[in-house]
Amino acid sequence: MIPSDHFVRFYNEVFKFLDRNDGLEKYYLEISRHQEHHCLDLFSRKGIAGMREYWNVIAREENIISKSKKKGIVTNTKMISSDSHICPSLTKNLDNDAGVCEKYCLHCPGWVIPIFTKTGFYCVYDLINLLEPTCSMNVFAIREEAEEFKQQRIAGGADPALIYDNLDKADEIEANKIRLAPLRAQEAAKAEN
Amino acid sequence: MLRYQENNQLHRDFHGTTNTTLDYIADNYGVDALKSILQDTGEKVYKSIHDKLAAGDASELLEHLNWFYFREGAKYQLTVEPDEIKLEVFECPAIRHLKKMGLPVSKHACLQTSEVNAGMCKNTQWESSVEVIGEGHCIQTFRKKEC
Repeated sequence: MIPSDHFVRFYNEVFKFLDRNDGLEKYYLEISRHQEHHCLDLFSRKGIAGMREYWNVIAREENIISKSKKKGIVTNTKMISSDSHICPSLTKNLDNDAGVCEKYCLHCPGWVIPIFTKTGFYCVYDLINLLEPTCSMNVFAIREEAEEFKQQRIAGGADPALIYDNLDKADEIEANKIRLAPLRAQEAAKAEN
Repeated sequence: MLRYQENNQLHRDFHGTTNTTLDYIADNYGVDALKSILQDTGEKVYKSIHDKLAAGDASELLEHLNWFYFREGAKYQLTVEPDEIKLEVFECPAIRHLKKMGLPVSKHACLQTSEVNAGMCKNTQWESSVEVIGEGHCIQTFRKKEC
């Protein structure tokens, strides 16, 4: 058994192998499909509130450290933002005798953005620096807000090469939003009762 | 002393991602590639265990086995002799969690044990083996090679 505590260091070895074999992108999609087991239904039914529910559990179980008590995973009904944390996963791999895979961080937008697309949300994911354990994941219900956020981020000095998004999937996102609207309305009514 | 101190909350769902990854690598790149990644993990990630074994010191290996199987809530028995370490795991915590999540257990699941252990022992005076008794039940053996 690889202890669950050490999974991310095994993951790091997998990424090194896949990078040598030009196979990272395809693998991210496999992990995304696996993660649907945890996220797809929750995000589909509850939207942003479901995301908050999911990441609150992750923050506790993965021992995510908040940089400031005032900042957490910031959400309102239209967006979720998580740029105020120290990533425990990269932190462990910066403390890894096998050395960190320089593309380690890419797996996060790689698996999570396809799930946002499937559940009708826009994501602007800024990795900031591949060797610093802080990134910024921002999810929006409204396309214009996501686009504006991305432009502001770049204007503020962010490296466009480290920003991943699904803004080019607007048609698919809008279609999924329409498809999921009755389910979300049903869920909201259930919550009110 | 353990190189990687882990005392915080456990995120057992990582066993699910490991399981998916084992199948993915084996299906797309072959079982030998999977074994090679797992052995690298044993040798390089657990470099301090490996280097100590190479120097004839099994103390960190023992601490590692004991702490992480205890921490994951396994029922196990660790038997230590000067030239042999045996760990009998009666219910693998990884397999138990996969079942709890309703995920099928990869047919390569036990390689994560046998190959990581082999990597830890690579080019040392120790060798490892894993005897699978039944699903989730195995005996892991580390034995000093005869000179």
